[in-house]
Amino acid sequence: MSTAVKLGVAACIVAGVTLYMAYLGTTSSWKYYLTVDECLADAPALIKQPMRVNGRIVVGSLDITTARQHATFSLAGSGGELPVSCTGPLPDNLAEDMDVVVEGRLDDSGSLLGEKVLTKCASKYASEKETIATTVPPSSAGGRLR
Amino acid sequence: MRMMGQICLLAAFVGVSYSAFACVMGARWDRRDLLRTGLASAVGGVFALTLVVAVLSGALLVRDFSFNYVAQYSSRQLPWHYSLSALWVGQAGSLLLWAWMLGLLALVFRFWPWKQPSPIRDPAFGILMAYCGFLTATMVFAADPMEANIAPGEEGAGLSPLLQHPAMLIHPPIVFLGYAAWSVPCALVIAALFSRRVAPGNNPPNDSITGAMSAVHMPLDATWVRIARPWALVAWTVLGGGILLGAYWSYEELGWGGYWAWDPVENGSLIPWLVGSAFIHTLMTWQFCGMLKKTSVALAIVAFGMCNFATFLTRSGIFSSLHAFSQSPIGWLFLGLMLVLGIGGAVLIVQHRHSLVADKSLTSLLSREAFVIISIVALLLMATVTVAGTLSVALSEAIVGRRVMVGPAFYNNVLLPIGLVLLATLAAAPLLRWGAPPTTRQKQALWYSALATSVLFVVVLWRGVQHPLALAVAWLAAYSVAALVASLVLETWQRNAQRPWLGLLRTLVSNRRLYASFVIHLGFVCIAVGVTGSSLGSQRHELVMKPGEVTQWAGRSIRFQRLIERELPGKFVVEAELEISSDGKNPYYLLPAQHLHRLQDQWTTEVAIHSTWGSDFYTILHNGEGRDAVRLTLVENPLMRWMWLGGWVMVAGAGVRLWPSYRRSNQRRQPPVRHLRPPNSARRQRRELETASS
Repeated sequence: MSTAVKLGVAACIVAGVTLYMAYLGTTSSWKYYLTVDECLADAPALIKQPMRVNGRIVVGSLDITTARQHATFSLAGSGGELPVSCTGPLPDNLAEDMDVVVEGRLDDSGSLLGEKVLTKCASKYASEKETIATTVPPSSAGGRLR
Repeated sequence: MRMMGQICLLAAFVGVSYSAFACVMGARWDRRDLLRTGLASAVGGVFALTLVVAVLSGALLVRDFSFNYVAQYSSRQLPWHYSLSALWVGQAGSLLLWAWMLGLLALVFRFWPWKQPSPIRDPAFGILMAYCGFLTATMVFAADPMEANIAPGEEGAGLSPLLQHPAMLIHPPIVFLGYAAWSVPCALVIAALFSRRVAPGNNPPNDSITGAMSAVHMPLDATWVRIARPWALVAWTVLGGGILLGAYWSYEELGWGGYWAWDPVENGSLIPWLVGSAFIHTLMTWQFCGMLKKTSVALAIVAFGMCNFATFLTRSGIFSSLHAFSQSPIGWLFLGLMLVLGIGGAVLIVQHRHSLVADKSLTSLLSREAFVIISIVALLLMATVTVAGTLSVALSEAIVGRRVMVGPAFYNNVLLPIGLVLLATLAAAPLLRWGAPPTTRQKQALWYSALATSVLFVVVLWRGVQHPLALAVAWLAAYSVAALVASLVLETWQRNAQRPWLGLLRTLVSNRRLYASFVIHLGFVCIAVGVTGSSLGSQRHELVMKPGEVTQWAGRSIRFQRLIERELPGKFVVEAELEISSDGKNPYYLLPAQHLHRLQDQWTTEVAIHSTWGSDFYTILHNGEGRDAVRLTLVENPLMRWMWLGGWVMVAGAGVRLWPSYRRSNQRRQPPVRHLRPPNSARRQRRELETASS
C-alpha cells in the first residue's frame, strides 16, 4: 500500500468519525428556526418541539417578576401574537418593543415556554433603532438594584 | 467639513479605481508610464481616504451632530476615546476604516524595500487597489459616512454601553486589519497566475505564440509563495488576536460566564482564520517539498473569500444573530464578490492545473509534510463544519424544506475529535523532517518524549482528572512541550556538545524562524488547554446573600460585606463587595456591579473576576432581593488564564517569526526569476531592429 493511499485511508477514517459526530451533535442540539407567524401557523405540529423564535416584544406586554427570574411577554407577528413565558436569569436590557430571540418549546396551550431569552447584543453596525430601544424603568423592572 | 469629506470620498473612489486599472494593465502591457500614473493615483486615493477618516474622527471628537453618523453613535456624555471608537461602530464607519487600512497596507506592500523586485508586485498592487475601490464604492453608493443629519439636535444617541469596554476600542480595527491583510496573498496568487511566471530553469519555447500557449504547462514559480508567507502570517496573527479580543470582551462584558457562543458573527471571523491556518501550512509544503500547489492557490482565494463571507453574514440579515446588525444591501454585494472570486479562482486553477503539478509525491507517513497534510485536513474539516453549522438554517430549508439550526453541541461534538488530531500532529512536529522519516536519534527522542509525558499523565490522573478528553489534551500538551525540548537538546548536542549553552544559542539563532513557529504551536496548545479546562470543569452556583452572610463554595469562603452605591458621570453604579478567601488567610475582594447608563436608560452587568493560573473565579451581580440582599451567580472557570496566555504566546511567536533577517537574505540572494515576457531592453532592441529594417 503506497503512502498516499495510507494517508487517504486515514483521511477517510477522520472524515467518517467527523460525520458520525456531526450526526450525533445535530440530533442532540437541533431546533426549529422560526418567525412568530410560522410558529403560530404550525402550532399544533410544533408542540413540545425545540425551537428558536425571533420576534419583537409587544409594547405593554412585558411583565418581569421582582426576583427578575421570570418574565412573560408577547411576541408580535403580522397575524397575531405569541405568548411567551421565560424562566431563568434575564438579559440586562430586556425591554418592550425590542427584538429578542427565545429558545424553548411550545406547550399544549400554544404558549412558548422559554428556556433562554436573548436580546441582541448591541454590537458594531447596530442601527439606531436597535441600540437605543427604551428599557423598562428600573423602578418597575422588578428587583433592580435601587 | 462634511462637504470636504464627501469630495475626498469621491476623489478616493476615482483615485483607487484608476490605480487598479493602470497598475494591472500597465504591468500587462509593460507600460511604465501607465504604472507611474497608477501609483501616483493610488497614493492620492489613499491620501483622500485618510482625509475622510480625519474628517469623521474630528466630527466624532467635537460631537458635530450635523453628521448623521455622529448623531447615531456619539453623544456629549461619552468619553473622548469611546467617541472616537464610534468610528468603527457603525456600518459606514467600519467600511471606511476597512478601506483605509487596506489602502495603507497596499502602499506598504508596494513600497516595501524588497530585496528581489518581482514583476508580480505591480499587478498584485493593482488587484489590491481594485478591492479598495470596491469598498469605497459601497460607501459612495450604499453607506455614506458623510451623510447629513436632516434635523441635528443638541445630543446624539450615544454608544451602546456594552461597547464601552477597552477591548472594544481595538477589537474591530484589529479584525478589519486582519481581513485587509488576507487580501494580499490572494492578490499575489492571482497576479502570479495571470503573469504566467515559470520557475528558473524551465525555458519556455521561443516562439511567442506557442510560448504563451505552453506557459500554463510550466511549473509556476514559487516567488509569490515567498512573498505571501509573511503577509499570510501577519493576517493570521492579527485576525487571531482580534478574535481572542472579541472573546475576552464577551467574557468580561456580557456577563454570562462564557466567551464563545457559536453565533454566526463569531463563526464568520473564525472561518477565515481556520482556512488561513491551513493556507500557511500549504505554503510551507510548497516551499519545502513542492507539494500542495493547487491547494495553496485555492486556499489563498478561499481565505480571502471567507473574509467577505463574514461580512455577508453580518450584513445580509439572513441570519438571526445575537449581534444586532442592521440589514442593508451591501451584504449581497459582498456575496457577489465572493462568488466572482470563487468562480474566477476555480477557472484559474483549472486553466493552470498543469503548472501546479506537485514536484514529488509523499514518501513517508512519518515525514513532516505528511503530518502537515493531516493538520491541513483537520483545519479544513473544522472550517467546513463551522460553515455547515452556520449555514444549517439555509441548508436545511433547501434539503428538507424546514429551517433547522444546530446548537453548540453540534460544534463541540465535531470539533473536539478533530482538535485532538490537530494537537497530535503539531505535538510531534519538532522531531520530524521534511522529505524523509525521522532519523534514529529523532525516533528515540520521540519515544523518550512519550515516556516522560506518560509520567506526567499518571500525575494528572492521580490528581483526580478523570475525563478522557481532559487526559488526552493534557497528554498531548505535555508531549508537545517534551518534543520541542527534545528537538532543542538534539540540535544543541549536534552543534556543540562541549558547551551546550553556546550550542543552544546557536541553534536558536540559526533556526529562529523554525523555533518561532513551534512557539506559535505552543500558543495553540495553551489555548487548547484553556478551552478544555473551562469547558469541562466549569461550575456555576446561583444564590441570594444578605450583608454579612458567608457561604462556602468551590473551596472558597465567600462573604457578602455590603452594597455600595456610587454616582459616576453618566451612570449610577451599584456594587456588591465580596470578601473571598481560599485558605482563610489571604482574603481578596471582588466588586461585581450593575451600572445604570443614564443616557440609554439601560442597566449593564459588570462582572468581577479573580484570575489565577488554576482557575478564574467569576462573580455576577444580578439584582436586589429586598433589604440589601442580592442575587449573585458564582462561576468557577478552570484554566481560563491559559487561553489568554496562548494568544500572547502566538503573537510573540509570530513577531519573532516575522522579524526580518537581513544577513541571511543577502546570502540567499538569487538571480531574478525569468519572466515569459522579454525584458524592456530586449523589446527596445527588437523594436529598433524592426524600425531599421523597415
